Amino acid sequence: MTALHRLVVALVAAFILAPIVVVVAVSLTDSPIPEFPPRGLTLRWYAHALSEDVFTTSALNSLWLATAATALATPLALAAAYGLVRGRFRGRDAIQTLLLAPLVVPSLVIGLAILLAFSGMGVRDVGARLVGAHVLITFPYMVRTILASLARLDPAVEEAARTLGASALRCFVLVTLPLVRPGVVAGMLFAFIVSFDNVSLSLFLTNARTNTLPIAILNYVEYNFDPSVAAISTMLVAFSLGAALLVERLVGLRRVVGG
Amino acid sequence: MRRGTALLLLAPAVLLIAALLGAPLAWLVRFSVHEGQVGVAPAGALTLAHYAKALGDGFYLEVFARTLGMALVITLVSAVVSYPLAHFMWQAPRRWRAALTILALSPLLVSIVVSSYGWMVILGDQGVVNRALLATGLASRPVKLMYTDLAIVVGLVHIVMPFMTLSILAALERIDPLLGEAAATLGAPRWRILWHVTLPLALPGIAAGTTIVFSLAISSYVTPAVLGPSGSNFITTLIWQQFTQLMNWSFGSALAALLLALSLAVVFGYVRLLTAAGVFGGPGRGAA
Repeated sequence: MTALHRLVVALVAAFILAPIVVVVAVSLTDSPIPEFPPRGLTLRWYAHALSEDVFTTSALNSLWLATAATALATPLALAAAYGLVRGRFRGRDAIQTLLLAPLVVPSLVIGLAILLAFSGMGVRDVGARLVGAHVLITFPYMVRTILASLARLDPAVEEAARTLGASALRCFVLVTLPLVRPGVVAGMLFAFIVSFDNVSLSLFLTNARTNTLPIAILNYVEYNFDPSVAAISTMLVAFSLGAALLVERLVGLRRVVGG
Repeated sequence: MRRGTALLLLAPAVLLIAALLGAPLAWLVRFSVHEGQVGVAPAGALTLAHYAKALGDGFYLEVFARTLGMALVITLVSAVVSYPLAHFMWQAPRRWRAALTILALSPLLVSIVVSSYGWMVILGDQGVVNRALLATGLASRPVKLMYTDLAIVVGLVHIVMPFMTLSILAALERIDPLLGEAAATLGAPRWRILWHVTLPLALPGIAAGTTIVFSLAISSYVTPAVLGPSGSNFITTLIWQQFTQLMNWSFGSALAALLLALSLAVVFGYVRLLTAAGVFGGPGRGAA
């Protein structure tokens, strides 16, 4: 590794971290406008952010939404991944492509299509369309993670359980599930972050009354420039990175993201 | 496992995709081939006029061309920026792995509103860059960086980098380490090993990354809308304008269907092309 390569990598790392570092630094500044480097140190923007109804209400909405989306996507993804790995039938690859399809369709197109279709059916409830869209977008990540965990599982373990007389269901619950649990938990965590941080879908599906936290932040920035946005953003970053660290520990992030 | 059991396990998931992706997309396409709408439903005669307008009018073609051009720049820049990082991750000691993975993936793990806000603070008229330029005397008044194409490129390269880096890293990890050692033993300098051994073998990864990044870039909405110039300068912002400001759902749907066709064509067409050209050493890599 040459010195030049190290320098280039350091610059790339600086580019990657720049917006995040700036947001964290600005959240601590003791001036009414976002200043970098921060002038003085204070936590008052955190207090301010937590006293803003727009942030707390929308954060609760996001929490509910991410929980609901994850809870609905998990059993579907678990069943589908198990069927894909253990089933032998024609069209397996096509079904796998179909299940990962929400990742290749542009978010804008998914958002608009769901918006049009739900209003066409007379469903105007923001919660319903948000949960629907978020299940759709978190589901492929869960399938991918669980598939990766199942693929590393030796089928002989299951065969042994079956030979010894365990029913298919018993074998799945007592043998397979405990072995793939890290993968399932990692997939759930990642799905939770994907939903909690989502902007590109929620933007089209929320309205003035019902918001998610990222959308509330986006709206707030349009009219206010005070550092309380940086404070709430820093909390969001801490939350996401914390969950990401757990995923990395459990199965490795790369298995979830793909590539 | 019996075939029936497997299909039964897959049925709920397939239904989910059909109900929440297939049916809504079909409804969108239905909108696009109708004259107009009554209330929230497509109405009027069947027509392809909206597609004809989107593909025949110079204004819309220009927006498409602009979006493709920007996506091309973003793809190229992200490949150039991501390669050194992927190469570094490949050669770094094992114990750095977790930290480097988190670093490389952090743009993906942090909500796009957070990074957008960060870029606003960095690129704004009173932002970090402009203050540095003024302080060092490199500029006498603030340079407009926010709400420009440059800001879109910066913001989008940042967001798509994880996909490019991981794709390249995956290709590098398939390289037999003995190849480089052999070249070094035979006296090849480092740059020749990079140019003649490593880079050609990393090509499938760069190609896969290019596919993903290009399709993400042409269909991105948030970054162009938040960091870019006002007005509709991307296909996506143009589509959104059709829906919210002009209330022309049918034409907006036609544009959205074209965007979908374009991005699917990029993902599947490009991969097929590259597979045929032998870039992906064998079958089974797919769209990564």
